Amino acid sequence: MKWIRIGVQVGILILLNELGKMISHWLHLPIPGSIIGFFLLFFCLKRKWISISWVEAGASFLLGEMLLFFIPPVVGIIQFKEVILSSGIHLLLVIVIGTVVIMVATAWLVEKVYRLRREETTE
Amino acid sequence: MKVWISLIMTIMIYLLFKNIYRKWKVIVLIPVFICPLFFIFLLIIMDFPYEQYHQGTKWLTYLLQPATVAFAVPMYKHWHLLKKNMVEILSGVLFGVTFSVFVTMFFSLLFGFSSFITHSLVPRSITTPIAVTITEKIGGNASLTAAFVILTGITGLMLGQFLIRLLRLKTPLAKGMMFGVGAHGIGTSKAFEIGEIEGTFSSLAMILAAIFGVFFIPLLAPLVEKFFALWI
Repeated sequence: MKWIRIGVQVGILILLNELGKMISHWLHLPIPGSIIGFFLLFFCLKRKWISISWVEAGASFLLGEMLLFFIPPVVGIIQFKEVILSSGIHLLLVIVIGTVVIMVATAWLVEKVYRLRREETTE
Repeated sequence: MKVWISLIMTIMIYLLFKNIYRKWKVIVLIPVFICPLFFIFLLIIMDFPYEQYHQGTKWLTYLLQPATVAFAVPMYKHWHLLKKNMVEILSGVLFGVTFSVFVTMFFSLLFGFSSFITHSLVPRSITTPIAVTITEKIGGNASLTAAFVILTGITGLMLGQFLIRLLRLKTPLAKGMMFGVGAHGIGTSKAFEIGEIEGTFSSLAMILAAIFGVFFIPLLAPLVEKFFALWI
């Protein structure tokens, strides 16, 4: 029963995705259909046209198992053997250093803005 | 026939490592890292063409699209948290995404990567389904980007806790945003380990970074590239 519900709800999300793709295609939008589907679902939830109970189980399934859907595209780097062999270490360096820098800067900024706003409101 | 085998194998190996990782929590056994590695070795050893593996598993990859739609559910559920902290969240996301384009371009030029690789690196802090869309728009490759996104996420997952201590972060908002902006969904899984609120902020940051990135990175990337070309 649980799996039937998840299946049906995933079906609803697939329909919204396909609807988004059609809209993107018809209107020649430079936005992927899945993003339009995202806004469609958000809008419908806000207006209560879709009840959250119709999609919640399917959404948590898709988001919870998202790592499974990543596997095939990652395996695709097999097509870029030369790139990995020639500059793999440099790529890894850029990714690790870059990620640390971005995380530190973002956390620092958010904490700064947070404190500034609290000081404002307490004064 | 072979087509079905690659699909079923992918699901089974994923479930196997998911359970192993849940039990032992050893970082190199995280499914998103070990499973692709397993299949890369398997394809090489068996001399199995990637094209056939791709044919068998493409509908699994397709599910990344409805998964993007599904992000609307947590966004709707936590809308009040988002509204309450709108200024911090938006400034963190706008700054983080912009800054990450600069940082990646800078290092890529420093190491002399080709523009093809640079463009595949640029969207790597964004969650995979959207990062792949962005990379196709700016002239990178989806598979390379997917691999870079995963490595970025694992970096964030491994170093996040250390950075929190180093920076003496106090607010759940800053802790969560750091993971969501810097290390997307994989970082978010770590943020949820730290706390429910941290995880929620992390997922909100990740969703907003994706939405903002899909509109903004294709416009920003060529500008930043020109900017650095003037200097280097």
